Amino acid sequence: MDQRGVGMSSDFSLFERHLDALYRSALRLTRKPEDAEDLVQETYLRAYRYRNRFKPGTNEKAWLFTIMTNVFRNRLRKRGAPEDPIDQPGTDFSIYDQMRRDGMPVHLMSPEEIIVDRGFGDEVKHALEELPVPMRMVVVLVDVEDFSYKEVASILGIKIGTVMSRLHRGRQALQKKLWEYSGRPKAPSLAVGAR
Amino acid sequence: MGDHCEQTMRRLNTYIDRELSDSEVRNVKAHLDDCPPCEQVFDFQAEMKRLVRKECCTDDAPARLRDWVRQLGTEKSKPAG
Repeated sequence: MDQRGVGMSSDFSLFERHLDALYRSALRLTRKPEDAEDLVQETYLRAYRYRNRFKPGTNEKAWLFTIMTNVFRNRLRKRGAPEDPIDQPGTDFSIYDQMRRDGMPVHLMSPEEIIVDRGFGDEVKHALEELPVPMRMVVVLVDVEDFSYKEVASILGIKIGTVMSRLHRGRQALQKKLWEYSGRPKAPSLAVGAR
Repeated sequence: MGDHCEQTMRRLNTYIDRELSDSEVRNVKAHLDDCPPCEQVFDFQAEMKRLVRKECCTDDAPARLRDWVRQLGTEKSKPAG
């Protein structure tokens, strides 16, 4: 085995260690295990094909996510899926404010108690998967994968200001879904604003 | 809600996402120490972020996918011929 062979195989193990992260994010994007697996496979094939373009010492996780989100968006486009509305104005919503308005002792309860403990277990994943794709990608990259705003801007090819506004609206939309799942009565003003 | 509260609330996301400079963090913390209502909101949203991460980190890649990726890394990196 020559030097190059050894180098390549250790480079690739650098990519291998992000498999679980890529897979769980692929699941949130595609919503289906078989599609997620397929998306991750194509991501690794491309990472392998273009491995010489990866600059050693830079963030390999961000590089892999750049590939994956691009493949995903291309697939949506090819399938002719309608573009998710990006710039629709969101209604301001937070579970915290809603519970305060309802006179609930929100400062004595954690989000986990409110959402998960009384639910069927998968509501956070479901709520996330219902978000429009542009917001969902930002929330997944920031909240689940712990990328910085700057990294997300680079991964998705958007401005940092856009990352921040999508994150803000995405989090509100997520909480609104979770609130609906938790079976709380909706205030009339919210019911009008929805969709 | 006072001016301080509004200024602090505008930094809610950037604070919990650790996107602020050290001096901005100090300003936010100083306000939160003095203002329990704002502190509660910040705690709640930070907890919310942790919850999203925790709930979404339960899916690991299937074993056959892991094997496939490992194969890709080892087989093809052998020198050709």
